Amino acid sequence: MPITRNKRTRPAALVLSLLLALVAAGCASQFPQLYPPNASTSQGAEVRTLYDIVFVLAVVIFLAVEGAIIYAVVRYRRKPDDADLPPQTHGNNLVEIIWTIIPTIIVVYLFVVSWQALNTVEAKSDHPGVRVKAIAERFAWSFAYLGDDGTTPLFTTDAQGHGVFGTMVVPVGEPIHVTLHSPDVIHAFYVPKFLFKRDVNPGPVENNFDFTVDAGDVGQTFRGQCAELCGAGHGGMTFEVKAVTRAEFDTWLKQQIDAAKKAPPASGSPPAGSPPGGSPPAAGPVIELAAQNLAFDKATLQAPADKPFQIHFVNKDNATQHNVQIKNPDGTVAFSGDLVTGPAEANYNAPALKAGSYPFSCVVHPAMTGTITVQ
Amino acid sequence: MATTALTPAATYRSALYEWVTTTDHKKIGILYLVNSFVFFFIGGILALGVRSQLAVPDNKLFSPDLYNQLFTMHASLMLFLFIIPILAGFANYVVPLQIGAPDMAFPRINALSFWMLPLAGIIMLAGFLVPGGAAAEGWTSYSPLAQAKYSGVGTDLWLVAVTLIGTSSILGSVNFLVTIFKMRAPGMTMFRLPILVWTALVTSVLVLMATPVLTSALIMLFIDRNYGGAFFDPANGGNAVLWQNIFRFYSHPAVYIMILIVMGIVSEVLPVFSRKPLFGYKAFVFATAGIGALGFSVWAHHMFTTGTVYLPFFSFMTFLIAVPTGVKMFNWIATLFRGQLTFATPLLFALGFLTMFLIGGINGAFSAAVPVDFALHDTYWVVAHLHYVLFGGSVFGVFAGVYYWFPKMSGRMLNETLGKIHFLLVFIGFNVTFFPMHLLGLEGMPRRIATYASTAGWNQLNLLATIGSLIIAASAVPFLWNVLISLRSGEPAGDDPWEGNTLEWATTSPPPPYNFDHLPEIRSERPVFDARHGRTGGHGGQS
Amino acid sequence: MPQTAHDGALADLPRHGISNPILGMILFICSEVMFFAGLFAAYFNVRATAPIWPPSVAEVGPIAEHFDLHAEPWLAAVLTIILVSSSFTCQLGVWAIRRNDRRGLIRAIAVTLVMGVIFLIGQGYDYSQLGFGLSDGTFGTTFFTLTGFHGAHVLGGVIMLSVVLFRAMSGQFTARHHDAVEATSIYWHFVDVVWIALFSILYIIPTR
Repeated sequence: MPITRNKRTRPAALVLSLLLALVAAGCASQFPQLYPPNASTSQGAEVRTLYDIVFVLAVVIFLAVEGAIIYAVVRYRRKPDDADLPPQTHGNNLVEIIWTIIPTIIVVYLFVVSWQALNTVEAKSDHPGVRVKAIAERFAWSFAYLGDDGTTPLFTTDAQGHGVFGTMVVPVGEPIHVTLHSPDVIHAFYVPKFLFKRDVNPGPVENNFDFTVDAGDVGQTFRGQCAELCGAGHGGMTFEVKAVTRAEFDTWLKQQIDAAKKAPPASGSPPAGSPPGGSPPAAGPVIELAAQNLAFDKATLQAPADKPFQIHFVNKDNATQHNVQIKNPDGTVAFSGDLVTGPAEANYNAPALKAGSYPFSCVVHPAMTGTITVQ
Repeated sequence: MATTALTPAATYRSALYEWVTTTDHKKIGILYLVNSFVFFFIGGILALGVRSQLAVPDNKLFSPDLYNQLFTMHASLMLFLFIIPILAGFANYVVPLQIGAPDMAFPRINALSFWMLPLAGIIMLAGFLVPGGAAAEGWTSYSPLAQAKYSGVGTDLWLVAVTLIGTSSILGSVNFLVTIFKMRAPGMTMFRLPILVWTALVTSVLVLMATPVLTSALIMLFIDRNYGGAFFDPANGGNAVLWQNIFRFYSHPAVYIMILIVMGIVSEVLPVFSRKPLFGYKAFVFATAGIGALGFSVWAHHMFTTGTVYLPFFSFMTFLIAVPTGVKMFNWIATLFRGQLTFATPLLFALGFLTMFLIGGINGAFSAAVPVDFALHDTYWVVAHLHYVLFGGSVFGVFAGVYYWFPKMSGRMLNETLGKIHFLLVFIGFNVTFFPMHLLGLEGMPRRIATYASTAGWNQLNLLATIGSLIIAASAVPFLWNVLISLRSGEPAGDDPWEGNTLEWATTSPPPPYNFDHLPEIRSERPVFDARHGRTGGHGGQS
Repeated sequence: MPQTAHDGALADLPRHGISNPILGMILFICSEVMFFAGLFAAYFNVRATAPIWPPSVAEVGPIAEHFDLHAEPWLAAVLTIILVSSSFTCQLGVWAIRRNDRRGLIRAIAVTLVMGVIFLIGQGYDYSQLGFGLSDGTFGTTFFTLTGFHGAHVLGGVIMLSVVLFRAMSGQFTARHHDAVEATSIYWHFVDVVWIALFSILYIIPTR
């Protein structure tokens, strides 16, 4: 049943709804969630500026067009006294030409503005401050710092306690040149605060890009995550980018290179996935430990003091990587086993430990923790 | 009022036999509709599974592997077994009637096209029963993840099913094109065709030209997986991004296949319920053809982050395609302007389409700006976009069509109150579910992740989206109840309950097997309107 | 003039332009062209991104020696001549039935059918002599997929020709009603054109 409207209330209703819309838009534009995060790289800032331009146009178009629909719906309701047909307008050439040309101008403008921003974002420096190869492998990230030739790896973060697994340390204020490598499926390198992602394609052609972290963001750690479905472990394939000063970076890199040159990785375990029968004979007592549903099956373990021991580790999580890393009470790494992709087993040969309490965890899933009591 | 002059056949045939062996486009159209809604509900249940898993952080309700199957099958069912076939079903029912033809050009191929669909659906769903589960690589099935070393038999079943569905579509498109070109009633020139027929025509051209490319990609992937092929696997010397190029060359025109006929439905409903002709008919036809053509030039906008695409070209074409789409939006609004609107349920859903599809179009423009796409690609922003155009757009349009043509198909009216409740619930539920996803995407939540950490800050929005999905689920109740009770005891519809414009309203509800006893004179795109208002002779050639 | 089913048999309506089945076949062939386009696109992409084409022994091992197809193209050339000739004989059949010459139709279709079968047998023989298979890297995969699907389409055409031959022998075709003959011949010509493209691309100019 159509509601009759008094002729005087119609314009008032229209003005009121316009005001409400403006207020709503004004409030909405203050909502930080309607915008991407403030960018932490110079490239990201370009993207954010472009987003803001598109956003303004989007809000204007949205209000105008939705407003027209709402207006039509309110104003042109059929009334009981509407016996005759309304004017049977078939079209209006002038109006139609205008509303074809104006959107064309708007989209051409948007195209030009975005092409300019694209060129800035894609620009690569001749003298990057650091060259890194980001390696995405189901389901974790490692980072190889490359020499000036861009190919020789000086040092690679890994699960054996070299660097913090899954963390890329970079200096602020300088272009970081990243090459993306995958030995298996397509992944994507995505850091929300950089407003940037790039696919990691397996095969001979590797994507690369530059980013420069703002100097003001020194000390920040940026969360990153794989953004291309890569299997069951896709959701957990996170990484971090840690921004430090150049001096801190140089010191850290030198430390890692030196540490890697010294003692070899103290894992002593067979390659991930090989059958348990192929592992070296058990050195000392064997402790059983399993991982299932992203958790260890035991929160506490017992090991003898001053004797090497073996952990028989069973990973039951399909297509998910786990390992066991034992830390000393002072926080340094005592032992870190090779990553194992489930379902698989591995025998880890842990070194002799002094009596005490040692926390252990999985490097890929830091929430998986437990304690080894050595006595 | 029209009457049927022929008497029913003398031999008794059971209703089941009739339906299974029919080649009547009207029955086949209804079969398409029913089959598609079955898969809509199954796909909806899978979506509820997805939303249940994402309702809270660190959720272990489903394993990540099963979760990947859930969203893969949700999308595959919705796209291949719901939205594309249901639009073919509407076209099947309505197009021959609207052009004054007695049936489609190839009735037996029409039946074959339909029956391939339930078979394909069963094959695809059988994936849940095989070792390794159903396909789990996303409906986009990117290589190398879709290679045999990373996936199981479920993916092969998926490939076979989609190939069957593609073949069904292609045969259907040949049928539609020959019907529209060759079987129009006298006086029904091309520029008097209802817009629904034009959209079916352009959609059929898209199906004809794009779907076979998908078939080639599916077969090549099948060869990779089962015969040691080297198309898409870099480990064999193949090219992973090649899959994306060939697949996306199909899947972009595919989204126009999923929307154009819906635009046709809306273009039928708005004029009838405004009591005015569609504003700018010719511009509409050219805009439809333009979208169809331009749709072939934008495929790589799904691949901006692959690093292998000439970005400016695809960005430009993507921006450009907004122009004919915008023109249509303005034409529709101008149709409402100075009209006399009656807010029956078909109009409500058509208005829902307008308001929601607009949002989907606008948020798509963000992704056309390439650097912004670098931030938004593969995040929940894209999930918001695709649901605003496919649900806010296509599904709302489908419901407009259901409420509009149900009286013609069944001879009974659907209950208006239940229809309005359905609309309100689905409109609210839809926005509560999908609007928050814009924000989640901006905050960096990627797509296709089985769970998220509680420290990421995405908890409330995900919970809100899940609540919205429950409201959508609830909306199915008034709809199904309405259909059931109206089939039994709905008000008799008569020939033309809505004061329609096009030829389907010039015959009984439901029409006789041969569609028309006599046709009104056809002198414009609104022959029934003209006959009603005395602009032409009411019936041609009747004594 | 009859306008509706009520006023007269639809089959007697004056025909305007090409008939429904022939238009249907032409449209179907458009879709098949797009199918082959997808396969060709894959081939050209694989070829363009390969360091050398055909792949060298250094890349893929001794099997690469078999990839040099244009060293001995004589069998493929013979098959090409057979297939192209069969298009001519098929067209002769169409012209025959257009003049109501049923015997001419039967002869022409029979010859076309035989030539089609010879092509298939020849293709099978060629396959057995090549020395590489579907799983032999990018070259093997693309070669066998392209020629294999073409062969499948030839087989489809052979089946259609058999049906047309059977129906012709049963006297089902006249000058006025022979849509199936026209449609089949259009399909057969399409199969021939695809072969010419394949032969040129795979055998004549494979190297880059």
